[in-house]
Amino acid sequence: MNNPATLRATAEDQAARFPALLARAEHLAGAVLLGAHGRRRAGVGDDFWQYRPAQQGDSRRRIDHRRSAMGDQEFVREREWQIAQSVMLWVDQGASMRFRSDPKLPEKADRARLLGLAVAILLQRGGERVGLTGTALPPRSGTPQILRLAEAFCLDDATDYAPPEHRAMIPHARAVFISDFMGDLDGVTLALTKAADRGVRGVLCHVLDPSEEAFPFTGRTIFESMGGTISHETLKANDLKSRYLERLAERKAELQRLCALTGWHYGLHHTNASAQSALLWLYSALDTRTGAAA
Amino acid sequence: MTVLGGIGFSAPWLLLGLLALPILWLILRAVPPAPIRRRFPGVALLLGLKDSETVSDRTPWWLLLLRMLAVAAIIIGLAGPILNPEEQQADGSGPLLIVLDGSWAGATRWAQQAQVIDAQLTRAARANRTVGFLTLTRPEEPAFQSADVWRTRLAGLRPAPWQPSVGNITRAAEIADTLEGFDTLWFSDGLGFDGRQDMLAALQDRGSVEVYQTGANVIAMAPATYQDGAITLTAKRAVAGTAREVTLNAQGRDPAGNARILATVPATFDESALEATAQLALPAELRARITRFDIAGQRSAGATTLVDDGLRRREVALIAGRDGREGLELLSPLHYIEQALAPTADLIDGSLGDILPANPDVIVLADVATLSDAEQAPLIEWIENGGMLVRFAGPRIAASDISRDTEDPLMPVRLRAGGRSVGGAMSWGEPKSLDAFRDSSPFFGLEIPDDVVVSAQVVAQPDPTLANRVIASLSDGTPLVTRKALGQGQIVLFHVTATAEWSTLPLSGLFVQMMERLAISSSSASINAQDLQGTTWTPLRVMDGFGLLEDAGNLPGVDGADLASAATGPDLQPGIYASGDRRIARNVVTAQTVLSPATWPSDVPVRGLFVAPEKPLAGWLLSLSILLLLADVVASLALSGRLLKRSNAAAVIMLGLLYMPAPADAQDADAFALNATAEMTLAYVVTGNGPVDEMSEAGLRGLSDTLFFRTSVEPADPIGVDLERDELAFFPMLYWPITPDQPRPSGDAYAKLNDYLRSGGLILFDTRDANIAGFGAASPNGRKLQELAAPLDIPPLEPLPSDHVLTRTFYLLQDFPGRHIGRDVWVEAAPPDAEQIEGMPFRNLNDGVTPVVIGGNDWAAAWAVARGGAPMVPIGRGFAGERQRELAYRFGVNLVMHVLTGNYKSDQVHVPALLDRLGQ
Repeated sequence: MNNPATLRATAEDQAARFPALLARAEHLAGAVLLGAHGRRRAGVGDDFWQYRPAQQGDSRRRIDHRRSAMGDQEFVREREWQIAQSVMLWVDQGASMRFRSDPKLPEKADRARLLGLAVAILLQRGGERVGLTGTALPPRSGTPQILRLAEAFCLDDATDYAPPEHRAMIPHARAVFISDFMGDLDGVTLALTKAADRGVRGVLCHVLDPSEEAFPFTGRTIFESMGGTISHETLKANDLKSRYLERLAERKAELQRLCALTGWHYGLHHTNASAQSALLWLYSALDTRTGAAA
Repeated sequence: MTVLGGIGFSAPWLLLGLLALPILWLILRAVPPAPIRRRFPGVALLLGLKDSETVSDRTPWWLLLLRMLAVAAIIIGLAGPILNPEEQQADGSGPLLIVLDGSWAGATRWAQQAQVIDAQLTRAARANRTVGFLTLTRPEEPAFQSADVWRTRLAGLRPAPWQPSVGNITRAAEIADTLEGFDTLWFSDGLGFDGRQDMLAALQDRGSVEVYQTGANVIAMAPATYQDGAITLTAKRAVAGTAREVTLNAQGRDPAGNARILATVPATFDESALEATAQLALPAELRARITRFDIAGQRSAGATTLVDDGLRRREVALIAGRDGREGLELLSPLHYIEQALAPTADLIDGSLGDILPANPDVIVLADVATLSDAEQAPLIEWIENGGMLVRFAGPRIAASDISRDTEDPLMPVRLRAGGRSVGGAMSWGEPKSLDAFRDSSPFFGLEIPDDVVVSAQVVAQPDPTLANRVIASLSDGTPLVTRKALGQGQIVLFHVTATAEWSTLPLSGLFVQMMERLAISSSSASINAQDLQGTTWTPLRVMDGFGLLEDAGNLPGVDGADLASAATGPDLQPGIYASGDRRIARNVVTAQTVLSPATWPSDVPVRGLFVAPEKPLAGWLLSLSILLLLADVVASLALSGRLLKRSNAAAVIMLGLLYMPAPADAQDADAFALNATAEMTLAYVVTGNGPVDEMSEAGLRGLSDTLFFRTSVEPADPIGVDLERDELAFFPMLYWPITPDQPRPSGDAYAKLNDYLRSGGLILFDTRDANIAGFGAASPNGRKLQELAAPLDIPPLEPLPSDHVLTRTFYLLQDFPGRHIGRDVWVEAAPPDAEQIEGMPFRNLNDGVTPVVIGGNDWAAAWAVARGGAPMVPIGRGFAGERQRELAYRFGVNLVMHVLTGNYKSDQVHVPALLDRLGQ
């Protein structure tokens, strides 16, 4: 990378992807109308909640004179309690995500990043703080955070199957894990149990390519992982289909069991389905969790 | 060469390679197809899965079979297979005599026969045998030469257009007797003839005889006869047995002079029949052009029959002197001639002036003395061009002064005044009989019945030329028929009447025969010896054995009797014979000919002529193997799932595209209609002037955009209309810019335009010259407009009145500027009785829409926008120009609104009055 021309070209290539992802994520997020997101109780916030008679111990500065002047009693204006939730994203950047079975379909990684960023935008608009799991990008609020997220999503990971990042999880925060969960499930188990230990609830979004569900292969085939580290040769690929699908179903069941155990949500998304529906599901899954917590 | 099952192999040992096929089968089975590498994230789930079968995925049996076939085809192909390898015959020794029938019957298969002879000559050359040829139709002493010499001369052998005669056979047998021991190959044509058995015996005395004869039937054709308006054609064959249909062709020249088949007719042999007949009815004109009939697929003199005068019906015009009385048919001057000619000639009636343009072959003038100068000149011209004028004497000619002192151009001789009468009540002597015809006369050989007597005649003046001109005379030497040539034609005078008044000649059969000899009529019956007795016929064109006509050269003439009855031979070749003006066709096969098949005793081996050519199959087999291997490539790719990858799929689609038929033009009209009607569309008339048409399109595009933005009219892109081709009914309005050089629409196009105008269309004529000319014929465009619009159904026009509905359909307008600011815009005039209601006359035609708007303001230029939406033509100056453009757009909007809304907008004018009446 010491060739300036290459560096420049690569940099521009990378930079070119960044606004596109952002724009698409914005576009996707624009389709979701945000609802009220208050805590339904008095607290720190901007919106009016109620007037209550001033009590002993209330600071005089808090007396609302406009209301108090209407009578003899002094009133204090209370505002609705609005707190920002921290949401941590983990979007699988591993090589296995860079797969698509048909040029018309997006790569799984592409879809996962799009969903991640779109949900981040939605959350940011709702006033939440969004960040990545791990120490690289802790949750922060504000638009610049979206840019940072987009930048982070543009980094590819060379490892074949990346394990979920589970370090530095903020207690009682929310988490969104988007991955194909094709790698070792131990990592997922560890991350979820650790999250559960810290009271972190969240959503597992399982992104799969349609060919991974259908296994439409026949004949003598050597299957290789996207990084090329694992390979498996078979003489009759169609013979393996049923057993592969069995294993896939087992894996989904295992993930669902883990989620049920730890109070997470599990959702399955295929890249040939619309990103919109996945986003809606993701957002509502996060939202209900929020509501349930209230 | 080794022959296995009818197929020879040049390298049979290579076939051992086929033994290797089973081994190949086993090897191919054992080796699985090459694996495909696939990137697949789900491989993590596959780890540890074992294949249920330890045996690899086998190549399917059909693919194996395909490969086996390909390999087998290669092996067999390299082994050099040959279909129909030459049969091995024992080569003899000693001289070889090849005897040919050499008659027309073998002409059709002459080429085949030559091949077989060639093959036999090749064999003889291998065996070093000398070969002699003996053709039975032209027997000559055979010269025994080496076979190779004969091979070079083989092409010179040709069939004769006759059958071997008894004389030929005798001569041939004599020749055979003089020769010493030889073997014989006899190529028979399949027809039997007298003396064949003797010849066979003579040949068998000298050595072995082998016969080659085609199994095919000999088919011939008898001369065509004409009767009752139809030509009867008869085909004959030698052997009955199966039903068979043959096609008979009438050959001739078309009006352009090219030889072609004029008509065909099928004829069917019944199962047991030897003859098949067919009737062919043709118009006389077509019939006269037929030169020959032949049988499709046969090419021999026997299957060809030439056509002579028998089919050709001459056109004879009959003209009599004016007869004052009606109804006495037997006294009619033409009655006997009509009776004599009607069966064999086409008769024409009419005046001379009407007849001459029809160019008949013969004109008969019965007792017509004088002709007017206006008639005479063309008549002479007609005779000089080959016409034949036949005149009969009569009382009028006898009484007239015609050809008295000087010879009349239309008379062969000078006549004495008055004529003479013999053997009557007031005269001495007996009625005269006819003298025998001299040999220079065309009537020579005709038998004169005793009862033909002449009692009155006109008499020729003695003249130096008289003797040459007499072709028939009475027993006392006075001329009865005289003739002279004039140009290419001739004039014949019968010195008696055409009726029975002066002689009994018209009552006798001799009269008809004389007509035939003069070629006035043509005999419909077949020629018979008696008719032709005493005549000599010279061959014009003769037919060879293949039925092709060639020039007769200096062949000698033939006696008429022989021509009629003798069989064809070297002295009487078939062809066209002529005597004087008559033509007779002599054909090989006559109506009496019977075709008898040749039969051979059982001890003579008979072989067919069929020689299947050797056909090497190696090329075919190797091509097959390549095709199979190609199929194997496709099948292997398909099996391993690689066939429909993107790049390969593209190739497959490309292949498929090669076979895509070209789109048909018929869809154009439909596509145009769909395009024009899917949405409301403005249209302009294509003038053929590129810049003008572009401007029209751009202008209407600008107007369409304006309408789209400002009104609820949302037009699609404008369309150029070709008046000749396109349907106009789809368009509410046509913009028609006038250029001086545009073509005038055709009549059909004008019909379409008038329909369009009557059914509510509007045409906006734009002369585009308001800057230099007012409205009218002052400018070239104006004149062109007048010329173009003349055939259109346009009502009276008036300059657009200030209260016209066009001024208020959408915008309120007073001016209608385009690129130019011309005042004159003309629309349909209000009817003279139009009522001024609220200042607005009613205009009733076409739902209140004027069918034309004519102006010269070049509106298209003002409306024109480029694709990007920017105006294309600068209008006026500065801001005032922009205002002018805006007004132009407003005019366009008003115009389209006017067209689309009909009288709705004009009725809106009255809304206040209506509301007032309703008491609102």
